[in-house]
Amino acid sequence: MRKSFRGGVHPNDQKLLSKHAKLRRFDPKGEMVFPLAQHIGKPAKAVVKKNDSVLVGQVIGEADGFVSANIISSCSGKVKAVEKRRIISGAMAECIVIENDGLFTTIENLGESTDTDSLSNDDILLKIQKAGIVGLGGAGFPTHVKLKPKDPAAIKYILANGAECEPYLTCNDQLMQTEAPAIIAGLELVLRLFPNAKGVVGIEDNKPEAIAAMKAAATGHDKIEIRALRTKYPQGGEHNLIQTVTGIDYPVAKLPADVGCVVDNVGTIFAIERAVAHNEPLFTHVLTVSGDAVKEPGNFIVRDGTCFEELIEACGGLKEGAVLKKVLSGGPMMGFAVGTLGVHVQKTTNGITMLAEDPAEDAARRMTACLHCGRCTTVCPAGLLPQLMAEAAEEKNWERYEKKLYGLECVACGSCTYICPAKRPLTQTFKQAKAEIQAIKRTAASGGAK
Amino acid sequence: MNTALNLSSGPHVRDRWTTRFIMHVVCLSLLPAAAVGVAVYGLRALWIILVSVITAVGTEFLFDKLLHKPDTWKDGSAMVTGLMLALTLSPATPLYEPFLGSLFAILVVKCCFGGLGKNFINPALAGRCFLLISFSNSMTKYSLVDGVTTATPVEELANGNPVNITEMFLGLSNGVIGSSILALLAGGLVLWALDIIHGQICFSVIGAFTLFMALFGGQGFDPHFLAAHLCGGGVILGAFFMATDYVTSPVTRLGQTVYGILIGVLGAAFRIFGSAADSFSYSIIIANLFVPLIDTYIVSKPYAFRKKAIQLQSGEETKPFFKRIPKPVIALTAIALLAGVALSGVYSMTKETIDDQNRKKAWAAYQAVVPQAVSFEEIPEASEKSDDVYGSDFGRTYLNEAVVGKDASGATAGYAISVTCAEAYDGNLTLSVGISPDGAVNSIAFTELHETPGKGSLCDDPKFKDQFNGRSVSSFRLLKDGGSTKEDEIDGVSGATISSKAVINAVNAALDFYQNSIRGE
Repeated sequence: MRKSFRGGVHPNDQKLLSKHAKLRRFDPKGEMVFPLAQHIGKPAKAVVKKNDSVLVGQVIGEADGFVSANIISSCSGKVKAVEKRRIISGAMAECIVIENDGLFTTIENLGESTDTDSLSNDDILLKIQKAGIVGLGGAGFPTHVKLKPKDPAAIKYILANGAECEPYLTCNDQLMQTEAPAIIAGLELVLRLFPNAKGVVGIEDNKPEAIAAMKAAATGHDKIEIRALRTKYPQGGEHNLIQTVTGIDYPVAKLPADVGCVVDNVGTIFAIERAVAHNEPLFTHVLTVSGDAVKEPGNFIVRDGTCFEELIEACGGLKEGAVLKKVLSGGPMMGFAVGTLGVHVQKTTNGITMLAEDPAEDAARRMTACLHCGRCTTVCPAGLLPQLMAEAAEEKNWERYEKKLYGLECVACGSCTYICPAKRPLTQTFKQAKAEIQAIKRTAASGGAK
Repeated sequence: MNTALNLSSGPHVRDRWTTRFIMHVVCLSLLPAAAVGVAVYGLRALWIILVSVITAVGTEFLFDKLLHKPDTWKDGSAMVTGLMLALTLSPATPLYEPFLGSLFAILVVKCCFGGLGKNFINPALAGRCFLLISFSNSMTKYSLVDGVTTATPVEELANGNPVNITEMFLGLSNGVIGSSILALLAGGLVLWALDIIHGQICFSVIGAFTLFMALFGGQGFDPHFLAAHLCGGGVILGAFFMATDYVTSPVTRLGQTVYGILIGVLGAAFRIFGSAADSFSYSIIIANLFVPLIDTYIVSKPYAFRKKAIQLQSGEETKPFFKRIPKPVIALTAIALLAGVALSGVYSMTKETIDDQNRKKAWAAYQAVVPQAVSFEEIPEASEKSDDVYGSDFGRTYLNEAVVGKDASGATAGYAISVTCAEAYDGNLTLSVGISPDGAVNSIAFTELHETPGKGSLCDDPKFKDQFNGRSVSSFRLLKDGGSTKEDEIDGVSGATISSKAVINAVNAALDFYQNSIRGE
């Protein structure tokens, strides 16, 4: 058996639904919505106003500070408004709304090839920064920040994350199959920034075609290794990927760079290659539309800002007879439920999962008291004790929760909730506990300031 | 299209296993043991199981209904409790006992403490202990297959008697309904393989129990002795099904191991130093009470905060496993191993000598009781009968060996018969009876006598033991208060009736053997 992190679960991966659907470009017709905050850090500042004309590839939101990212238009047309709109998270947030003219006229030089050999490290980083690239695995951390650690020489591994451990999602599988050489080229570009690093592409072993394609593309690249990983959720989690490849467990307070690693999603690496070698900023990425409620699940190269509804129509709409119960942005383990299909794709949206059956609803109905069976403890990839954490949270014993049980180390991967035979909403409890503890700390801090 | 979409926190998929499924699997895993119980002890066992299970589920049902609680009776946990309780009862139990036991287990121990997941001790065991205390008489009676009430194998073991391990293993010997080790192991190992029970618990229970038994049980690492103890008295049922009860066992692996060791040690200690049969019920319940304490103090750190991870984070190389073991541990292990090897070496080297010594001791006794003989020959019939209690009229008396003594000319000079009575005041006494060719007792000589000094020990006094000399009767009778007049009457040692009785039983057994197997030929 392949070496892997401890714990983890094996949900039905449901990947067959869309596994063989080739990547399709999808050009939307309706209005496009670009939230100014779709990355970690400060929201971007809008640099266009109502009635401005914009082109594909144009910067419409400018990074505000170093830890922030540009927002790029993915269509041509007129700015309709800069206003608050409901976004995927359910919140109302400031967005740039563009009336799409359907022509997709691009800015000059877009897609123009560059000789990357002549570029300096700073040139590469600048291009990445300008292209508005953020981590496409889901977190949305600005990539140029990640690629500028304090000591680049201390980085030993660049991990290209192609695990794709979320059930239903297959877009990175398809991306690796069709764009393997570009991903390898992108990884080589990143490796140039780190003199002592070695590149490892981690792919779960349920994607043999992708592994084969990547291996073929990596021949002759001495610093790059393609590694098959055991298929197990959350293999694609940053902590778990690092654990698997290097054997190091590190706390949430530390960054991967602190243990000599930089982790980037294969989609992000691909975006780096497009930006650096082809002068194409980040305005498209791959996305899977799947689930038991959708007629023809598919994998798309989707433009940022596209409405969910249009993508679902592109998949033939709902399956006959299916009653849509739940729509998830992302996969079913860490994705979140959206309240309406009128929301728009963001940079970090890697999947739309349409469910006719809602196991979570079912679970709420069948919940029993905690059995203390310890299955949550067995599967927790961080080695936490979810059962005791839930007890402490229930008693609001935050001292024990944080200090004795290290409750804040939970990254909400959902493994414990998934496995719980008593169907208890553990992950939800831990998210709330985290919020509550942080609120208490903030109050204490502000109280101290007064 | 987009009306009323469900909104909830992730994850949005769930494993198929439910509380109910787990409980049903546990029930299924107990079924082989229950089936063997019914097959061996008859329909009566089935009735006990049914009464127990129906009462358990019914009690929870009524509790839910009367107090308007959610329908927890359906979750299968009450069924598990009822079934487990039934398996710990004797097939001879009157039917109101499983009823009361189940009622107590579910109503008092489970429901009143908040139902599933809230009980502080294992309900089935609590029910059993409740019955043990309330009906101590009938609860400790175990009927054999044929309905005769006798001691259980563990009680026999405690008395130092041999037991039939094969029967115990298969569940054919006398005990509780769920006493088939084979069936219990099958069920338990399936649960372990399915990851329903934690190996840390069951194997640490068994390991600690075996080790403690070997160290303090008085018989060392005798595999027969250890196997007999493991097969009896609910060790396997306790280790695999009772100790592993989720609610009343700790969360962390270390905590579970500590808990398992606690049960094993307590169980063995109770068995060696206290009541034989129920040691495991009490040891598990006591360990249950320690669980909240264990869970409060033994909490493991997340992987990222363990020593090895912290070393790796700071870029240190970790040593390979054997280099991380502290030197004293290696040294101690090596010493222990060496000592073990040395001990077993000495044992095997001296075994022959010791056997020889024992032989000489026996032969010296034969010589003493048949003084005319110059050589002895074994009588094979005696050793054939030496495994079981001899006859039915002599208490628990065993025939060890019988020899015929020959004089210098090769003629029969007399017979010597070695017998052990296990019902002496302090365990066993062994003596040799010399019988002349005409059937009269020559004399008796003790080879093993640990009776109370000044009382039972006076059996070896000529005043008592010479009474047998020269008498030719078919059996002797004890006169407790002295004043014997007849040939077959023996005056007891005053204040040591049990010892005197044991001697007379032993001598009578020897005479019986002489009359039936030697002279009868």
